[in-house]
Amino acid sequence: MSAVWRASRAAVKRRRLQTFVIGLVVLCSTTTVLLALGLLAAASAPFDRAFDEQRGAHTVAAFDPAKASPEQLVRTARRPGVEAAAGPFGQTVLEMPDDWLWMSAGSLGVVGRADPNGPVDRIRLLEGRWATAPGEIVVNWPVDGTPGPGRLGTRLEPRGAPPLTVVGFATSMSKSAGAWVSPEQMARMHPTTAQMLYRFTNAATERELRTGLTTATAGLPAGSLGTAQSYLTLKRAFSAQADAYLPFMTLFGVLGLLVSVLIVGNVVSGAVVSGHRHIGVLKSLGFTPNQVVAVYLTMVSVPALIGCVLGVVSGNAVAGPLLRVAFSGVETGSASVGVSRWPSVVCLLGMPALVAVAALIPAARAHRLSAARAIAAGSAPRTGRGLRVQRRLGGSRLPRAVSLGMGQPLARPARSLLTMAAIVLGVTTVTLTTGLTSTMVAYGQAGKSDGAPRIDVQAGSSARGRTAPAGSDRRTERLLRSLPGADQVTVRALTKVSLGGHTQTVFANFYRGDTRALASEIVEGRWPAGAGEAAAGPAFLHQHGVSVGDRVTVRLNGKEAPVTIVGKTMEGNAQALESTWQTLFRLDPTAQAAEYTVRLAPGADARKYIAAVKAADPSLRAALLRSDNAATTTVVGFASVFTVLLTVVAALGVFNTVLLNVRERRRDLGMLKSIGMTPRQVTVMTVSSVMVPGVIGGLLGIPPGIVAHRLVVDHVGVVAFPESMKQVWHLPQLAALVVAGVTIAVLGALVPARSAARLTIAKVLHNE
Amino acid sequence: MTTDSDSSRQVVVRLEGVHKDYGDAKALDGVSLEIRAGEAVAVMGPSGCGKSTLLNMVAGLDRPTSGTVRVHGEDLGRLNETGLALFRRRHVGMIFQFFNLIDDLPALDNVALAAQLTGTSARQARRRALELLDELGIAGRKDTYPAALSGGERQRVAVARALMNRPALLLADEPTGALDSRSGEQVMDLLIDLNQIGQTLLIVTHDPHLATRCASRLIEVADGRVARESTLEPTA
Ligand SMILES: Nc1ncnc2c1ncn2[C@@H]1O[C@H](COP(=O)(O)OP(=O)(O)O)[C@@H](O)[C@H]1O
Ligand SMILES: [Mg+2]
Repeated sequence: MSAVWRASRAAVKRRRLQTFVIGLVVLCSTTTVLLALGLLAAASAPFDRAFDEQRGAHTVAAFDPAKASPEQLVRTARRPGVEAAAGPFGQTVLEMPDDWLWMSAGSLGVVGRADPNGPVDRIRLLEGRWATAPGEIVVNWPVDGTPGPGRLGTRLEPRGAPPLTVVGFATSMSKSAGAWVSPEQMARMHPTTAQMLYRFTNAATERELRTGLTTATAGLPAGSLGTAQSYLTLKRAFSAQADAYLPFMTLFGVLGLLVSVLIVGNVVSGAVVSGHRHIGVLKSLGFTPNQVVAVYLTMVSVPALIGCVLGVVSGNAVAGPLLRVAFSGVETGSASVGVSRWPSVVCLLGMPALVAVAALIPAARAHRLSAARAIAAGSAPRTGRGLRVQRRLGGSRLPRAVSLGMGQPLARPARSLLTMAAIVLGVTTVTLTTGLTSTMVAYGQAGKSDGAPRIDVQAGSSARGRTAPAGSDRRTERLLRSLPGADQVTVRALTKVSLGGHTQTVFANFYRGDTRALASEIVEGRWPAGAGEAAAGPAFLHQHGVSVGDRVTVRLNGKEAPVTIVGKTMEGNAQALESTWQTLFRLDPTAQAAEYTVRLAPGADARKYIAAVKAADPSLRAALLRSDNAATTTVVGFASVFTVLLTVVAALGVFNTVLLNVRERRRDLGMLKSIGMTPRQVTVMTVSSVMVPGVIGGLLGIPPGIVAHRLVVDHVGVVAFPESMKQVWHLPQLAALVVAGVTIAVLGALVPARSAARLTIAKVLHNE
Repeated sequence: MTTDSDSSRQVVVRLEGVHKDYGDAKALDGVSLEIRAGEAVAVMGPSGCGKSTLLNMVAGLDRPTSGTVRVHGEDLGRLNETGLALFRRRHVGMIFQFFNLIDDLPALDNVALAAQLTGTSARQARRRALELLDELGIAGRKDTYPAALSGGERQRVAVARALMNRPALLLADEPTGALDSRSGEQVMDLLIDLNQIGQTLLIVTHDPHLATRCASRLIEVADGRVARESTLEPTA
């Protein structure tokens, strides 16, 4: 074994550059794969862990206490298929007239519970203590960390109910309530529904959950089950954003793996071919064929291992910020999103294994090679077609240095194909990224393509709630329209409403005025027009299990309104619904708008307009709307990083090939120089040798890139791109992509070309 | 063709105090010599004494550690890499022990290459290459690839290539070293013929027979120095 080790070490030393290239390629692709896996892991594992820790409720069900008695509900816990149950707990919805704590005015679902622990939904107390006495309330903190003890003691004044003091903050992965009070306090608030929390033995799918609930509630009077919320919905909400990034991360990961395999295969087969003499010497020294293969495997395994370890380190370093972006704004509860260990383990074991397999195939050739043939390797007769082409090239009008270079790939067709494959993958990546960038930029520009400035105006009263006199928002609207420069004014009221079938409340935006710009964001159906119509983004629809045409019930202030989803917007908050002013009027006739968006006429001066607003009504806060889009920045940012990585890797593939070619052709180079080839001609010749593979690689790489782009834009869960944004391919761009192929090739060839140009001939001729 | 080193003739090569070190090893240790137009000079000496190094200095393939090399009036030390390439193109032709032909090109294109690099059109270059192959008696092998040529044939193709640009100086490094004796003789005859029509020759060899047959002057090198210089009587 030590002989193998010594021979490998010598081989590595003689191929420092290639060793470095293998290491770098493995490093880059390990980083990419690790990120994709890390994202995949974070998308579900932390939720599952935190959910299991709290023994989260698979189903949170609300019953009508008038129809089902507490005894009947308790009995459901003993039905088959129910693993554990808690409740019944009294439940009601409070209306918060003003913005409170960190939340906006609207509905708040409250449950009466004596104890945060129990068989199901063990609520984790973050600050303060549990509500035990009347007048006390514990509020759910939905995101990472805690709100801190500073906000304990806040007084809440719900409409039509006695005031409550916040004595604690807690978090429930089951999202069983927005806040909790003691059962005595709940009794005073006249609970409208009874909450039961269930864990089922089979709870992997929505179907199993439905079956479980049906079995559990089979004995109850008809119509007693009101709504049921599935934990799978919560899980989807948790991972929605990360899921949106997954398709393109996965694609980049796969591309990275392919490139690594190609490069490693290419490098090893190159080493075997150019090492024929070396193999012969090893064999004549008494190395067995297996030992020879071992030498070649060791030769690539050492840099691959180092690259893999460094890749895992850098991947873990980048994963942190990536996960922060992917989970920004997600209600993670007590699930701590972090980089898990297993992707690192998978990479550390998998990447070297993959490299070994990629190396094994060409190394097997070394196994078969006879010692005599290996030593005598050299002027093997070449194939006819390649020679004819070279002949024709020699007679063409091209400068001889160019035609000589163009003929070179024909001498080693297999190697040239591998190189071309690296270029194909590089161009595929560039295609995918430019496509993604175009789509994301178009998306970022959506609705403001006319370049007209938009001004956001907040009514000063919003923070203090609806203390403004009734009808004052109409006056404000008129004022904003009358100021010079105003073109369109959109009026918006934001409130939290509860949605039939869900314990969580959602945001609802109600609009009046000019909604043309908003309507342009519709990708399916139409913008809501009258009372009882709404639109929502893909994330909302997905997470709430509704689609265009469905009807939902919206509840606010104890009033209910049926609402039909008439349109799907391109994007949108997973927890927000867009509707009309008429719908709001049905729920709350006294509601006032708090926010206005003014689109100025093209060319109007935004600063003058803002000043005019302030002068006319000092209570209004006006500011220029800047549209920086986190999704756009993230996708474009990461796509760019990966493109750079994979382009570098592809260029390194070319680099390695050209390096091998230059090495093998040193004698030819020496001769060419001896007959007067100038350094510039040597460079031209070497670069020309990759031109044709570059152009062909460019042409072949574009279609898969276009397909990959399609795949990604069709599967970004949180954004539904309209067709116009998906069609980003135009002739000049496509031409530029072919140029990209050539550029990758030339970049890779340039360094070895320059070193070939500087090669000292005397040395070459002496060594041969 | 000459029996005297006629001092009236033009000096083609002049080395003055040329040293060449490879690390600690002294490949050349103060070599000075002159070669005049039309001469055929043979350099002899044991393996590793610095013969090839000396030849490379003259061809501008390598630079001396110290000393000057002038060829055709040109101080090679003053030329950059491109300048050296252009110098070789115009003034020297080289042949090597192992021929150094390009395996992927047939004989004709291997020869034409030398002219094509200077921008001569493919047609013209091939025409002249064919003339040369014809003169060297291997026109019939013009479409054959090096792998299918005999050693002697390969060396003739190499000679033809070296002559393509009508060099003032033909350098040969052990031109018969890889050939059987019959092919070696033929290549030798070819070199003698070339010298007869005025081609200046510098031949490195360790074959005394070759040296005495071809050369008008003999330079013996030992340990990187010129050990002895002698004028030879033509034996042919
Ligand atoms: N490129 C080189 N690097 C290191 N040593 C060299 C190189 N070229 C020649 N030498 C050394 O210089 C000496 C002379 O070499 P060379 O001129 O090739 O000898 P010859 O042609 O007479 O056999 C030898 O010792 C050789 O090892
Ligand atoms: Mg020698």
